[in-house]
Amino acid sequence: MRKIFPADLLARDERFIRQTQEARLADPRGRTGNAANQTKLTPEARNAPDRARALMHGIFVGEVQALEGAGRTCFDFEVGSGRDDVPFEMKMDMARQCWDEARHCEISVKLSDHMGTELGEFVENTTLYEAACNRDPVLRLTGVNRALEGLAIDVFNTMREFGRMAGDPVLEFCEDWMLADEVTHVKMGSDWLRRMTEGDAERLDRALEFQRVVDKVFSFNGFRGEDDDSPIQLTRRFREMAGFTPAEINDIAEMSRESRAEAVPG
Amino acid sequence: MVDYDADAIGAVARQVAGELGVSGDEEIRIEVDETSPLARWTIGAWGEGDEPIVLQVDGGAFEDTRRPRQFDERRTADVVGRLLLRVLDRRTPAFAGAPAEDELTLAQGVAWDVYAVGRLVRMGHEGQRQRRLYQFRNRHGFSDATDEAFDQIWNASQLTWAELDAISAGAMARSVFEPDG
Repeated sequence: MRKIFPADLLARDERFIRQTQEARLADPRGRTGNAANQTKLTPEARNAPDRARALMHGIFVGEVQALEGAGRTCFDFEVGSGRDDVPFEMKMDMARQCWDEARHCEISVKLSDHMGTELGEFVENTTLYEAACNRDPVLRLTGVNRALEGLAIDVFNTMREFGRMAGDPVLEFCEDWMLADEVTHVKMGSDWLRRMTEGDAERLDRALEFQRVVDKVFSFNGFRGEDDDSPIQLTRRFREMAGFTPAEINDIAEMSRESRAEAVPG
Repeated sequence: MVDYDADAIGAVARQVAGELGVSGDEEIRIEVDETSPLARWTIGAWGEGDEPIVLQVDGGAFEDTRRPRQFDERRTADVVGRLLLRVLDRRTPAFAGAPAEDELTLAQGVAWDVYAVGRLVRMGHEGQRQRRLYQFRNRHGFSDATDEAFDQIWNASQLTWAELDAISAGAMARSVFEPDG
């Protein structure tokens, strides 16, 4: 079986259509400020239900890719003490995460039914999985379990809040349970980052830099931040539970503000 | 900004307008804001007197959600059909009491959309029933009473504004889960 499986060979049926990150960034409408003008996801907005549907579909394809990524991490690295190896216990954590992500996929499919969304109704971006292709297990773990699963904490919390405000008990309940799993996934990333870089400051720095790069990619137009009108709200409490320091959370918030300022013309 | 063709939009609009019984002599102007990926819309003019019907839409309203910046005939038919039905409804005495567009509540607006899409579906258009039900629930509460009201509106063909508004208000009053918003 092939190791380090490329994103463009991921199995999808004809319902799914992909958009590359390059194409997404090249969309001139993203630079007009319209995307950044999207406000916090609350039921008061006229298009709120459709925005929630699109976001939920993004969560669904993200769960599929998270499952694929965690599965690849179980397989791509050998157990051992070498630089390219991983501890057996880390593989066990990734296997447990696969179990969680598979359950999240099932929940997301049922939520899509609930919200009237067809699978594949919205374009798929595979950036999440691409971050899970790094050949260094520490960088991969940091990019996926801290940057992307950290974003998942923010997204799930935002959706849970939306469900609560809209009086949708199904959405609120499902998001709450998935949020609990995501906090665990990020905590795994924080713990393994510390353990696998113990006594290797250079590797720790490279991993944190990779995390910043991934966070930057997903701060497109500053859609995730702490401003009142940020579509996705940065969630301090759950991030701290998952091993983020206040300074790290401040860095993400600042990065988001910068991205937002760049997106909105003059 | 987007790969849309005015002729293609016009063809869809002509087809839908014809199905809805809009006179072929009546001018319909559709203004598309290509810079916006959002899906907002407004009815700029109702076609009263000699003026044309004017529909103003964000480019995202006609966009293929699976292929960004590409035209989607099905979504365009849905949007144009819904808006034209609202125009036609307002022209009838049965809807004389309807509030102005900017005075409609979210619940009233969604109820009217459901009434329009239900009719479009019976004419052979796709309607994404569950999506419309989700929108309706968001505005009326997630309850059995809401679902019953949705079915009543979705299956109706000859409602007056007073009847439509009463069903909508009744669903909100009977709903167990009141939206915070």
